[in-house]
Amino acid sequence: MKTTVLLSHARHPVSDRPQLSRLEAQAIALAAEVDEAPSGLHAGRNETGVVAALGHGLTALDRLDLADTTDPLSALAAFLTRQRFDLILAGRRGEGGHETGLLPYRLAAILGLPILADAVAITPGAAVETLVVDQAMAKGARRRVTIRLPAIVTVHPLAPPPRPFAYGPMRRGTIRRHPVDGSANAADLDTAEERPHRLRPKLMRQSAGQAAGANLYVDPTPEEAARLILAYLEANGIRRYGPLNDR
Amino acid sequence: MSRPRRDPRAERQSHDVGATGSRPRYDRSQPLPGRAGVPPIVAPARSGMTTQPQPAKPELRIVDEPAFLVFAVVEAPGGRLSRFDRQVLGAARLLADAGDGGAGVVAIASHSVEGLGEAGADRVLLFTAEAMPGTVAKALRQTVDALSPRHVLFAETGDSADLARRLAIALDEPLLANVEHLTSRQAVRAIRNGRAEIAATPPRLISLGEDRIKPYEAAPCEARALALDTAPHNDDPAILSVEFIPGDPASLALSETDFVVSAGNGVSDFAAFRDLATHLRATPGASRVVCDAGLMPRAAQVGASGTVLSADCYFALGISGAPQHLQGIAGCEHVIAVNTDLHAAMIERAGLAIVQDAQLVMPALLQLLRGGER
Ligand SMILES: Cc1cc2nc3c(=O)[nH]c(=O)nc-3n(C[C@H](O)[C@H](O)[C@H](O)COP(=O)(O)OP(=O)(O)OC[C@H]3O[C@@H](n4cnc5c(N)ncnc54)[C@H](O)[C@@H]3O)c2cc1C
Repeated sequence: MKTTVLLSHARHPVSDRPQLSRLEAQAIALAAEVDEAPSGLHAGRNETGVVAALGHGLTALDRLDLADTTDPLSALAAFLTRQRFDLILAGRRGEGGHETGLLPYRLAAILGLPILADAVAITPGAAVETLVVDQAMAKGARRRVTIRLPAIVTVHPLAPPPRPFAYGPMRRGTIRRHPVDGSANAADLDTAEERPHRLRPKLMRQSAGQAAGANLYVDPTPEEAARLILAYLEANGIRRYGPLNDR
Repeated sequence: MSRPRRDPRAERQSHDVGATGSRPRYDRSQPLPGRAGVPPIVAPARSGMTTQPQPAKPELRIVDEPAFLVFAVVEAPGGRLSRFDRQVLGAARLLADAGDGGAGVVAIASHSVEGLGEAGADRVLLFTAEAMPGTVAKALRQTVDALSPRHVLFAETGDSADLARRLAIALDEPLLANVEHLTSRQAVRAIRNGRAEIAATPPRLISLGEDRIKPYEAAPCEARALALDTAPHNDDPAILSVEFIPGDPASLALSETDFVVSAGNGVSDFAAFRDLATHLRATPGASRVVCDAGLMPRAAQVGASGTVLSADCYFALGISGAPQHLQGIAGCEHVIAVNTDLHAAMIERAGLAIVQDAQLVMPALLQLLRGGER
């Protein structure tokens, strides 16, 4: 299964050095489970961050020679149409740019491929040209979808952790540099003003204060206590336990 | 504050046995007649909840002819609104009530959900359950074309985030993703790895970051059901099969689960405790003392140096409630405590506090759960 992982130009939040995004490193670990020689694809001039992907399990890296300020969509679409990958993996939102998370969906629309989000595990399907994708859902649920290849899949942070970094494979890995011809169009959303980021506090995850200390029961019989607890759980919609005896 | 004022003279007078003679005689062993009917601490003794006047039931807020519509897509796993869903509805209410108001909020869910009115929805639109995001996006696109809402709000998580992007592609409109700050005039989101931000007037498609916008808390809205003429059905040729696997609480990570039952130093019967966790369909946790003693794995530790929970409900058996432990459950909405010590901090924190031996309550709970199983 010919697989590629889309790599963005992530930067470290504190030092601002180029680095490999963690989610994309997790995507590499997923790719290595269905393809013994997965490759990566990066559009941009700076290689220092993304070469680490070779040390995390990629065997080759394709780099499109494109200025960082241009919209990589058309160049990526043209490259992917030429290469005909079976599976294209990506993070939820590319890092370092506008981070809208729309790029995989735009690619899917241009290439006419199906797209699935939030994968935590992928395995080859029973039939040829199929893939079984486990999608992460709320409360630990999973949705197992069998999809026909080729397809685009984005990866969820609950996917297995990245493979450990190894220096040798990074040195041995091949980097293929591809020049991009034609006019590159400007990035979207440039009408809005851009300014330094201001940290804003999140809402406190505090429980509603009125609940505390409302019901206090001193020395009820154990049976009474058990009934109180189950009634509380059901009344607040935590769990339903079906009809309970002697109630 | 509203405690009845003591009158020492009258109290002393009521102890007077009325003996004849020069010296007055008092019998202090008798309880005061005025307070005889007050039971000892059993019922709501603390926090003065009972003495406060009950607020009158707020009346329903009805929008008959909305000036414009704001869509809010809620996921509501298991038919209950999550805190994130409430925040999305709160943001929709904020945009709908801006300016001269009179706009309607339409909650869009894939199955019936409780409490949408209280969370701020004027109308409710249901799509069929178990539809894949691709199919829901098609149906949503038709609804957007038909009703032309001014804004469509999504949560930046799971299927909602997926849906937001599919809709943005289908409508060929920009999406303001992962918004951190929202008012009726501007929406702000971080870009370039959190180094810069962009502000824009709220566009049509917005997805919100978690814990950014307050949920709606004023008068409940109507949540009237809207009839939908386009029922989505899975017809994507590339998707061959879909299977839903419910989460198994026993094997879930503590940070992912919604209900944790936790054992502390007051629990000695750990076989019964594990049994109880499976029967309650809860994820087992523990305090540090228990993990240090090797009675539970280290991964089960709740608290500052263990896992900080995002669960809705926490059930503490025999846990004193040390500050380091309480930090781990600060976000839990419902807390149940069973402890032998009336003055434990966990009893103070709990929404349902039971002063009783955990070793007696656990078998009683198990018996009730086993007897009640269908
Ligand atoms: C730097 C630091 C970090 C820490 N981090 C954490 C952390 O992350 N998580 C954590 O949990 N702790 C942490 N601790 C430890 C914490 O301070 C407490 O020591 C610990 O939480 C106490 O655990 P406990 O409530 O189970 O035990 P105890 O404090 O011994 O409490 C036992 C409770 O059980 C009750 N009890 C006894 N018998 C029964 C019975 N038969 N039935 C019912 N109730 C009974 C008692 O009344 C008592 O309230 C940390 C401490 C430090 C110094």
